Amino acid sequence: MVQIYNDYKDHADFLTVYVREAHPTDEWQMKSNVKEDVCYAQPKNLAQRVAIANDFITRFKYPIAFGIDDIDNVAEAAYSAWPERFYIVDESGHIAYRGGMGPFHYDPNEVRAWLAARYGEVKHDPPTAPSTPPTATAIPLK
Amino acid sequence: MPLFWKWTVALIAVVLLAVFLVLCKMAGSPKDAYGMVRYALPHMHSGKLKVGDDAPDARLVALDGSDRFHIRERTGGRPLVLIFGSYT
Repeated sequence: MVQIYNDYKDHADFLTVYVREAHPTDEWQMKSNVKEDVCYAQPKNLAQRVAIANDFITRFKYPIAFGIDDIDNVAEAAYSAWPERFYIVDESGHIAYRGGMGPFHYDPNEVRAWLAARYGEVKHDPPTAPSTPPTATAIPLK
Repeated sequence: MPLFWKWTVALIAVVLLAVFLVLCKMAGSPKDAYGMVRYALPHMHSGKLKVGDDAPDARLVALDGSDRFHIRERTGGRPLVLIFGSYT
């Protein structure tokens, strides 16, 4: 997603909305969370949610604008956004693209295609050799 | 037990087993299947928003934990890509 942001940030605005955890330790924790050392209980208050969001930003040096859904989950409910989802809002404030429900239908390529159709495709050279360690681009929001 | 009921019970058992196996396949393991049914499916909603609808507004909290802003404040000038997700 960060790559898409870098490719189209001159044309569109991006806003990340951090919602309830998908795989907290006290609910449905996954092995991959343990392996990646991403182990958090489901926040019970806003301060806990803010703390996790800041951990994420710090760890991945995440460059995209960031907002945190309040503990009453208003944004999540309004957009049916849990556990992860994309939307694009056009200049007139209307939904221009509605992504599918994550994780099975969460597809950054559809976002890229929408932006490419409007602003042109951005091509990248294929990777030649292992270089830098994985960054936030390797995983959905994280 | 009449033969009809025996077959009915057997059929239900087979269907439940099939559902369980499909969930295990989707989630990765029996434990994950339980987690998916218990914690994920109740919160996953397709929603009623569709292309062309007014984008809902919501008040968000900034990373400092105190400042607030509205999604609507970020719309209007250019298309706005909204990325919903969490850390885990």
